[in-house]
Amino acid sequence: MRLIEGISRRRSTGYPIRTGCRSLSRTETWSHGGHDRVNCDGQLYTIEGIAAALLMIMTAYLVVNATSVYTAGDTHISDMQLEQMGSDALKIMDTPLVENEKSPLQDIVENYNPGSNNATFGSMFLDLTNLRAGSGSDHIQYTANFTCRINPGTEIASYPLSYSRNLTLGEHAVRVTKWVTVNKGAAAFCGTTNTERAVLVEVLMWRD
Amino acid sequence: MARLNDDAQWIILMGFLISFSFFFLAIVINQSTVVGQTTAESVIEFPKNDIRDISQTISGSVNLPFPSNETVNQDIVVIALNRKNAVVSYTIIQPAPPSDVHSHAVIHYNNGVTEYNENWTSL
Repeated sequence: MRLIEGISRRRSTGYPIRTGCRSLSRTETWSHGGHDRVNCDGQLYTIEGIAAALLMIMTAYLVVNATSVYTAGDTHISDMQLEQMGSDALKIMDTPLVENEKSPLQDIVENYNPGSNNATFGSMFLDLTNLRAGSGSDHIQYTANFTCRINPGTEIASYPLSYSRNLTLGEHAVRVTKWVTVNKGAAAFCGTTNTERAVLVEVLMWRD
Repeated sequence: MARLNDDAQWIILMGFLISFSFFFLAIVINQSTVVGQTTAESVIEFPKNDIRDISQTISGSVNLPFPSNETVNQDIVVIALNRKNAVVSYTIIQPAPPSDVHSHAVIHYNNGVTEYNENWTSL
């Protein structure tokens, strides 16, 4: 009975009304005879508390996210650019300078000399990849080999073609490849003579 | 007890709105790096240059005479599997004039992530 009395009893405080919680601010209840009041005096503190909590959670989220993303994203983008540039360079090298003649890359593979470092490949590849607009050149290094199939059968053999620096396995290298069709004529090449052969030129390239 | 002064609620509310909008902008900028990373990853993963290269090599070999074309076909299939981790298979259909004066190459490429099929026709 006291509860119902309490709810029904209202008291005018005489304060000017500023907020939207008109009825609440003017209602006081005595639910169990104590003096605890339900009103909107702490509204601003509550909003501030919620806002502060959200700010802290979002800050933590941004910080954690930022550190894990930056390095990974950067390396992938430069890898992609390096790979594209290497592919383009090999494509240029496999384009004949004169129609119906062999391309420089075909010449290089056909005149492969075991154990030697092919200087034509080196100068051409580095010229194509190291050139930059403005002054100063890039610092591309590479090591190249080519792979052919031993005819007849399904065995393959890889031969080092050229390199600008030894691979120490510490480099962050990307691999680019190019299919080349060669014909060495009467000279033996991977188990055949006087026939066209498809070989794969592979280049590991990195920036040091 | 001193009563809480709630005169400037609108100003504080606007302050909150502006600070939250800054945070949302920061999230958008943050996501842009993720977008750059995933784009670069998918470009690396998609074998655009490999497909172009193999298509060009195969279409360049359609006019080879009999023993050479079989050798080149085996070269491409074996080396692509061993060195490029790609299953490549192709068939060359010679022109049959007068009904069809074009050479055709039916090319299949699959490296486990990307599958590519091409029906190439000579000019």
